[in-house]
Amino acid sequence: MAALPRRIIKETQRLMQEPVPGISAVPSETNARYFHVIVTGPEDSPFEGGLFKLELFLPEDYPMSAPKVRFITKIYHPNIDRLGRICLDILKDKWSPALQIRTVLLSIQALLSAPNPDDPLANDVAELWKVNESEAIRNAKEWTRRYAMDN
Amino acid sequence: MEQFESLLTCCVCLDRYRNPKLLPCQHSFCMEPCMDGLVDYVRRQVKCPECRAEHRIPYQGVQGFPTNVTLQRFLELHANIAGELPDPTAGQVMERCNVCSEKAYCAPCAHCDKKVCEDCKSAHMEVLRREISRINNQIRRGLNRLQDILGVVERNTTNLQTNCGAVAGEVDEIHKRLAKALKDRTDFLRNEVDRYLATELRNLTNLKDNLELELGNIQSNCDLADKYMNDDVEWEDTELVDTKEIFLKTVEFLRNFDYEAGDYNRRVRFIMTHDPNQLVMHVASYGELNITQPNAYSSGIQQNQGLTRSKSDHRLATQFRQQEEAKGWQENDEPILGGRKFGERRPPPPEKHTRDYGAADDYSGYESEHRPTRSRFRSRFVKSHLDNDSDTEQPSRTVKAEQQKEKEKVTDTEDATRGPLSGIFRLSDCPRVMQRILDVDSGKKKEKKEPPPPPKPVQPTPQARRPPPAQRQQSEDDEISRLKRQNKGAASSQEPERAPARPAQEEERNSINRKPPTPAREASSDGESDDESVGSLQRNQRKTAPAAQKPATTPRRPSATEAPAPHRPAARAPSTESSASTESSGSAVKHTGAILSIAELMEKYSPGSTSPTPRSRFSSAGNERTAPAATNGTTGGAQRVQSRFVGSQRPTPAPAPAEPAHEDSDTSSEEETDSSEESDEEPVTQRKPESQAMARSDIGPLLARSTNARNDAADNKPKETPATQSRYRTRQTSQTEEEPAPRYSAGSSYSNRYGSKPREEEPPSSIDDESKYPTARSRYLALKERRNRLARSKSSHTGFGAGDDDDQDDPVSPTTASPSAYLAARYGSGTGGTELSRSRSSHALKSRESSPERPTPGAEKDGAALSSWARYLKNKYGSRGKDRDPSSTSSSTSRRLSLGLPLRSANELASSDDDSKNAAGSPISPTAATAAVAGFAAAGSSPRSQYMQKRRLQFSVGSRGSEPGCFTWPRGIAVGPDNTMVVADSSNHRVQVFDSNGIFVKEFGQYGSGEGEFDCLAGVAVNRIGQYIIADRYNHRIQVFDPQGRFLRAFGSQGTGDGKFNYPWGITTDALGFIYVCDKENHRVQNQKLHFFHMIIEQSPFFVEHRKKCL
Repeated sequence: MAALPRRIIKETQRLMQEPVPGISAVPSETNARYFHVIVTGPEDSPFEGGLFKLELFLPEDYPMSAPKVRFITKIYHPNIDRLGRICLDILKDKWSPALQIRTVLLSIQALLSAPNPDDPLANDVAELWKVNESEAIRNAKEWTRRYAMDN
Repeated sequence: MEQFESLLTCCVCLDRYRNPKLLPCQHSFCMEPCMDGLVDYVRRQVKCPECRAEHRIPYQGVQGFPTNVTLQRFLELHANIAGELPDPTAGQVMERCNVCSEKAYCAPCAHCDKKVCEDCKSAHMEVLRREISRINNQIRRGLNRLQDILGVVERNTTNLQTNCGAVAGEVDEIHKRLAKALKDRTDFLRNEVDRYLATELRNLTNLKDNLELELGNIQSNCDLADKYMNDDVEWEDTELVDTKEIFLKTVEFLRNFDYEAGDYNRRVRFIMTHDPNQLVMHVASYGELNITQPNAYSSGIQQNQGLTRSKSDHRLATQFRQQEEAKGWQENDEPILGGRKFGERRPPPPEKHTRDYGAADDYSGYESEHRPTRSRFRSRFVKSHLDNDSDTEQPSRTVKAEQQKEKEKVTDTEDATRGPLSGIFRLSDCPRVMQRILDVDSGKKKEKKEPPPPPKPVQPTPQARRPPPAQRQQSEDDEISRLKRQNKGAASSQEPERAPARPAQEEERNSINRKPPTPAREASSDGESDDESVGSLQRNQRKTAPAAQKPATTPRRPSATEAPAPHRPAARAPSTESSASTESSGSAVKHTGAILSIAELMEKYSPGSTSPTPRSRFSSAGNERTAPAATNGTTGGAQRVQSRFVGSQRPTPAPAPAEPAHEDSDTSSEEETDSSEESDEEPVTQRKPESQAMARSDIGPLLARSTNARNDAADNKPKETPATQSRYRTRQTSQTEEEPAPRYSAGSSYSNRYGSKPREEEPPSSIDDESKYPTARSRYLALKERRNRLARSKSSHTGFGAGDDDDQDDPVSPTTASPSAYLAARYGSGTGGTELSRSRSSHALKSRESSPERPTPGAEKDGAALSSWARYLKNKYGSRGKDRDPSSTSSSTSRRLSLGLPLRSANELASSDDDSKNAAGSPISPTAATAAVAGFAAAGSSPRSQYMQKRRLQFSVGSRGSEPGCFTWPRGIAVGPDNTMVVADSSNHRVQVFDSNGIFVKEFGQYGSGEGEFDCLAGVAVNRIGQYIIADRYNHRIQVFDPQGRFLRAFGSQGTGDGKFNYPWGITTDALGFIYVCDKENHRVQNQKLHFFHMIIEQSPFFVEHRKKCL
């Protein structure tokens, strides 16, 4: 259990000191590499008004490898599957050490406002999104209201 | 400013750029670890985190990317503007942590002595902290031991005081009693005297008065008679008659009155019932303080030492232990922190690490040389160590003293409180610790997480870490181990003390062993010789005077006698020594004697008696003259001295007298004739022309013997032998010092050949005179002695049988003196034969052998007294000697002797071979002997060269296998009396015999448990008569085979009782035939005479099983 790299400490401090609007990331008390994240649904999106919980884990070789991020709150989104796994390029092959937690979360927030059904993870959702976008958006709103708005 | 800041921040590490490298895409990143982490080693590419552009990595790696100099300037600028402190890690290069193998800025860790990253280091320090607390607990727990010891010490102190007080009281009491007794007695005696005086006085005065009265009466009567008893006065007849009666009575009274002068003349004498001197001595030493082991504490130690010592019979073992102890010592000796100051780093490895602490510099210089004065702790026992250390350390210390004055001050503070026993000092006295504690208390320092000073005050470590870790870091191993040790051992403190004590003791032992002999000898020789010399001289003179010998001879004798006595005590077995000494001395005397004139002798003689050197001279001189007489006497005396064996010899002398006659007739050389004359003379005692004396001295031993025999009869010369001995002694001492046994033997052998010359050549004798001076003499004498000894040994065998042999031998002895003499001796008839004959006895190893040998000569004459061994020898040599008798003077015999002697000396046990060897040797002997002698005489190093040769591989025998000449697990080897090699071929269950060239001779034995069968035999030994003694390991018995390999007997069985074995292994036998067995699995030490086997060894009736613990 090597001590935290300087970068993680710095990022954490900065997240605390200058929180990104609509995003809160709090490190776990027991594990500084594990963050409890809450992202608000972007405006003008079917997820508006929802508070989405995510978990974010910084792997050992962070920042050389991407953080692991997963939605805990259920969400109806073509790029997010039932288990909350996110299909986002910067979390995969497009990861760059220049990216940070904050940028990742911003990207995820952006992903909410701009679903990309061409690169689906939840095929059924993506299918519906492509075929019947309004229906899909309605479902999304419904899910948001059902899962992301109570707490 | 914010943006400016961000421009200077590496986007990967989010830190200020450190050694920014510029990618072709114009993005910059720190070289380490950022750029390093971006490398795709498979494709040798770097992907820019910013623009995701991929770039090939230069050949040299990421280092090959250009440094963004502009950015660096900006960084510097920014640093200047913002007044930032320089990056502490600037200039450092990242290394792999030696613990977690992560790349990081590593610093040396005192805990693991590696360079580790911060994280690991902190972890280590955590560990150290925990360990410290743990050990501290142990210490607290173990502290009571120290307290117990303290209590014990205090108790012991009081005990000691009471004890000493009691003893002092006793002493006082005794003193009072003694004083009172003395006083009482004194008073009583005085009173007696007074009373006696009074009574006597009274009586005397009475008598005086009476006498006066009588005198007056008579006087008046006389006057009256003169005056009136004439015709003038008329007296009546009755008156006249009465007057006449009165006068008659007066006359009668005057005639008869006899004053009993005796009554009043008797003197009062004060007579002590005890010798006053003795009484004084008794009183003067009326008590001793016997210091017993004071208390359990120390006694335990001593006992331990004793135990360990008792086991340490083996020298090797002791040596080994010494070494180990020495090692242990040195280890233990290390000062607590390895000589460092508290909290100071270990002497830094070559690399430079910056230290956080400012004080570091002060301490950096410190190294082991700074060890504060050693703890006294083991000082007592380790003194030598300490001294050495201090010696070595001192210079360096002094050298550095100037440089380090400041530092020394610091250490001094620590030293001041250093525990004298363990070298532990108070942490709270350590400046660093104090400062650190201060910081903590005042809390003004940034919250360094220094734990409140652990049980022991914490040291300020340079890096804001807790001091205790620092301590441990430095010496953790040392300290912990030390602490443990102390916990264990401190209480008893036995370990340290014991270890040191042993070496010291051992040293003492050694010293004792070494020293005592020489001083003892010297002292004995000096003191005894002096005393004895005087006494002996007087006696000799008295005796000799009647003998009508020349005074010169007598003095010489005494000196000789004196000398021998001291020698005996010195170190040798009395019988052998004495005999040897007498013989050698006799021989020596012969040599030396030749040179000196009688007058010289006389001169020397007087001083010689008093001082040792003169004595030696004297002896030498005396040897010349006295030699004839003295030698005779000496031989006789020697024989007497020799007791058992001598006794055997004595009988020989009887024949000897007859022999001398032969000698005379036979003697080709003047000496011999002289000797013979002397021998003849000696009975007469007065005849000794100086020349004869000289000759005698040379001839010495044999003649001496014969003469002795005569002398014995005459009783005149017994003391002369001692004189010869004295010489001998001197030689012995010299020999012991200088010459190895082998040499000696060789020398002796050759000496015989050349013997005749020595007399003629006076250089030897002169040398003898010189011999007084230790160096020249010692060697020379030593050579002589050896030769003499050899000669003697020979003579004893051969010579005794025939007087002729003796004559031959005699020449030999002189030869020993001078190398050239040897040659002459060879061809000339030996004068020094006696020396040769006796020479054997001198061999230390041969003491036993010699004793048996001597008897042999005697044995011929009286077989009854002979031991079995003697008989054996007799059988061997007796016939020879007889044969020789007729041809006694023949040079061949002398040669034989010469050869045989060396051979014998070479192989102690080989005596049995003498015959064969002598025979063989005689042809060869001249050349070889001469060469050897020459070498010997010239360099005196021949033994050494021989020894050096021993290191070379002569040959090797065998290989693995079961054929003859091959071995499977050979476990034992022995050399037989005939130079055969006997090998215990363990796993082939047989004994193989090879000749001295390694050629297979025979084998015997096979697997089994019956007679003559072995089960993995281990040890083998060959006794003097060629019997094989085999340790039959798995049969738990010892088997004895005759020289032909036929089974003779076996003894022993498995068990732990006496005479039982448990896997006997090593085995050997000594000259007397005692068998020594390593009883391997019986881990006990036994040494006992178990059986009395007549049969085992013909010559020696004894059998001893010596159990030893196999180490």
